[in-house]
Amino acid sequence: MKIQDCIDAGTEYCPCYLAETGECIMCSQLQGKVFCDCINWKGVCIYQEYIWNHSRNKDNRQGEYCRILAKNNVPPTVTLLKIEVPKTLARELNQPGAYVFLRTAQDTAYFDMPISVMRADERAGTIEVAIQEKGIKTKYLRLGEAVDTADTADTADTADTVESAELAEAAGKSEQGIFLRGPYWNGVLGLKYLKSFQKGKALMIVRGIGQAPALAVAKKLLQGGNEVEVVLDEGWIKADLTMKLFQELGCSVLKKEALDLAKLTLTEEISAYIKESLLHQGVELIYSGGSELLHQGIARIIQEVRPEVSLVCSNNAQICCGEGICGSCQTRLADGSRVRRCKSQLDPIEIFGGR
Amino acid sequence: MAKVVVIGGGWAGCAAAITARKAGAEVVVLEKTDMLLGLGNVGGIMRNNGRFTAAEELIALGAGDLIAITDQVTRHKNVNFPGHKHASLYDVSKVEPLVQNKLIEMGIRLKLETRAINVNKEGTKLKSIVLADETTEEGDVFIETTGSTGPMGNCLRYGNGCSMCILRCPSYGPRVSISQRAGVEDLLGQRGDESYGAYSGSCKLAKNSLGKEIVEKLDREGVVIVSIPAEEVNLKKLDYKVCQQYALKEFAENIILLDTGYAKLMTSFYPLKKLRKIPGFEFARFDDPYSGGKGNSIRYLSMAPRNNALKVDGLDNLLCAGEKSGLFVGHTEAMCTGSLAGHNSIRLYLGMPLLELPRSLVIGDLVAYANEKIKTPEGLKNRYTFSGGEYYKQMNNKGLYSTDVEAIKLRVERMGLTGILSEKIL
Repeated sequence: MKIQDCIDAGTEYCPCYLAETGECIMCSQLQGKVFCDCINWKGVCIYQEYIWNHSRNKDNRQGEYCRILAKNNVPPTVTLLKIEVPKTLARELNQPGAYVFLRTAQDTAYFDMPISVMRADERAGTIEVAIQEKGIKTKYLRLGEAVDTADTADTADTADTVESAELAEAAGKSEQGIFLRGPYWNGVLGLKYLKSFQKGKALMIVRGIGQAPALAVAKKLLQGGNEVEVVLDEGWIKADLTMKLFQELGCSVLKKEALDLAKLTLTEEISAYIKESLLHQGVELIYSGGSELLHQGIARIIQEVRPEVSLVCSNNAQICCGEGICGSCQTRLADGSRVRRCKSQLDPIEIFGGR
Repeated sequence: MAKVVVIGGGWAGCAAAITARKAGAEVVVLEKTDMLLGLGNVGGIMRNNGRFTAAEELIALGAGDLIAITDQVTRHKNVNFPGHKHASLYDVSKVEPLVQNKLIEMGIRLKLETRAINVNKEGTKLKSIVLADETTEEGDVFIETTGSTGPMGNCLRYGNGCSMCILRCPSYGPRVSISQRAGVEDLLGQRGDESYGAYSGSCKLAKNSLGKEIVEKLDREGVVIVSIPAEEVNLKKLDYKVCQQYALKEFAENIILLDTGYAKLMTSFYPLKKLRKIPGFEFARFDDPYSGGKGNSIRYLSMAPRNNALKVDGLDNLLCAGEKSGLFVGHTEAMCTGSLAGHNSIRLYLGMPLLELPRSLVIGDLVAYANEKIKTPEGLKNRYTFSGGEYYKQMNNKGLYSTDVEAIKLRVERMGLTGILSEKIL
C-alpha cells in the first residue's frame, strides 16, 4: 500500500499553497473532501493549522542573498561552494535530504536550481554544496574564475584554506553573492527508513555528483550505530569529492564502477557485490545515490533477493519550484497515481520497483 | 482456528472480543490509544430507563460479562434524575483496568497503541488490516468498532475544534474508517438543521474543584441538580446534542451533575466563565474534555451500512458494532451490538446463518429499528437508545420495557436464546 507523506507536514511552512487550493498531500479535509481520512498522520492536524491560520497558507520560504566564502573548481565539471548562511538555516539544513535553491545574484528566478547540501556547519553558519555543470543554470553559476583550483583529492581542506577577506566582503548582489532559497528537505526518498535504522549494516552506492548529498546520509547512519560501507563511483563528474570525507566519518570506502553505460544497467560486478551483501553480509539497508538507472537496478535486486530490505535513494526528480506547484517533478506510480516528488516522501520501491 | 480481528477497543470492541472468544475464535483487539473503552472511560451511566431491560437481556443471552464489571464498580444504584429512573452510576476511574484484565484472562490478545489505517482485500474479502507502522494484521473475520467520533478535523469542521477529549487524537493519531477504506461509503448522522455530526452530550468536572456541599451531596446521592439563573438559560444548546435522552428542557434550565467518580456534567460544554458564576462552581474546572468550556467531540460521522446481524453491506467478512453500526448512544447499546457482532463472527467464518435477534427482544428491536431509521432522511437526524427519546417510547409502546429480571429472563428463554452468546461453536 502506498503511504505518501509530505516532507513539509507539520513544519513552519505547513499548511502551504496546496492546502489553499485543495491539493494537500496529507489531509483529506484539504483535498476537497469534507471528512477526515487521516492514514498518514504526522502528529499535527493540518486542517486545524489551516483554520487557525485564517484559512491561509503560512508564510513561505522567501530566499536571501548570501555570501560565497569559497569557490573551487574541480575539473572537469564540478564547482564547490562554501556559502555563509544564518545559523538557524544551517541547522535546518544539517540533515539528510536537505537542499536549497541557488541562482547567481544577477539572475532572475528562472535560474533557480535545486542543489543538495553536502555539509552544513551550524556553529559557523555555513553550508557547502557541489554543483555539476550540466545545463544553462549550472553554467551560469560557474561564474568568473574560480578562486582556487582544488586538488580533487582533498577539496574540503582546500575549501577551508581559500577563505579570503576579499570573498568575505563580497556580500549582497556582488559577483560573489548568491541568491539562496531554503530550507528544503526532500532530497532523499525513504527518509523514515533511514532515520529509524539502527545498529545494523548499511551499504551505500554513490555515483557522480550523487556523492555530495550522500555525506549527510552516511552521518545519519553512523549516528544510528550502524556499520556503513560506501561503494564510490566517480561517474560523469570524473572526480572523487568525498572518499576522504566518508573515511573521516567512519565509513569503509571502496571504488567500483556501478553502471554499465553501454547496456544501461548495473555492472555485473556491482550486481554481484550487492547480492553478496544482501545474502551473506547482513546488509539491511541500501542507499542509492546516483541516477534513476542506479535506483532501478538496485530496487530490482532488492525485490528479487530480499524484498524486506529498505531502499533509500537520492531524489532526482526535475525539481523546479520545490513547493508542489509547478508540477515538473511529477512522477507516475505503478497504480497510475501521480506524486509531486519535491514534497512527497514515499518508499522508493513504489517508484522504482518493478520498472 | 478462526482468527477474528477487532478494530477499536471501546465498549463495543471489548464486547465483540468476548463473545467471539467464547464462540471459539482466536481474537486480537487493535486499539489506537493506551487504554481500552474509548469514550467509555468518561461514561458511567448504566441501567437507566430501558437500559435496565437491555442489560438484563444481555445477561440472559450469555453476554453479561461487561455488565458484571460495571455493576461491580457502581457507586450509586437506583438514581433518578430528570427523565431518568433507576440509573446505576459506575466509577469511570476504576473500570478500565478491570476490563483489560478480563480480556487478558480470557486469552484475548490486546494490541494497544496500535492504529489501524487501511485494509488489504481481495475482491470483497478483507485479508488484513494495515497498521500505522505499515505492518499488517491478518485475519479471517474482522469486526469494526472504531466508533464515529472525531478525529480533530471533523471536530473542527463540525464543532468548535479539538476539545482535548479522552480519545486523544493528537497523541495517538486520528480514527480511520475501516469500512470506508474497504470501499463502503460511510453514512453520516445529521442535526436538526441538516448539518453533520452532533456533540457528545456530557463532560466531567474535577470533583474537588466544586463546593463542599455539592461534593457531599454528590457522594451521598449520586445526583445534584442546581438551577441556572434565568438569564443564563440557553435552550438552543439542546438541539446540537447527540444524547436525545438528555435533550430535555430540565437539562438546559439546570446544571445536572452525576457522580461517576468525576462530577459528570450533563451538557455538551459550558463556558467556564458562565459556570463559575454559579454558587458552588466558583473554582470549577474540566477534566474531560479538558476544553469542556469551549466544545466537545463530534460524533456520528462514520456509520457503516449493515444488516440486522451486523454484517457490513458489500463486504464478505466485516462486521460492525457500536456507533459504527448505527446512530446509537451509550455503552449498553455498544455492549449489545458488540456482543452480537462478536458471536456472529464465528458463524460468518463457518458459513452458518448469522444470528439476528428477534424484535420481541429489546436488543433485536433496537438493532432493527435503527437500521430502518437510518435509511430515512428524518431518521438520520435522530439517535437511538434504550434510555430515552424515540426508541424508549417505542419500547414502552411495544411493552418491551421491563425492570422485572425474571420476566426478562423468561422472554429470552421462550425464544430459545438463553445463553446463546456464550456458546462455543468452533
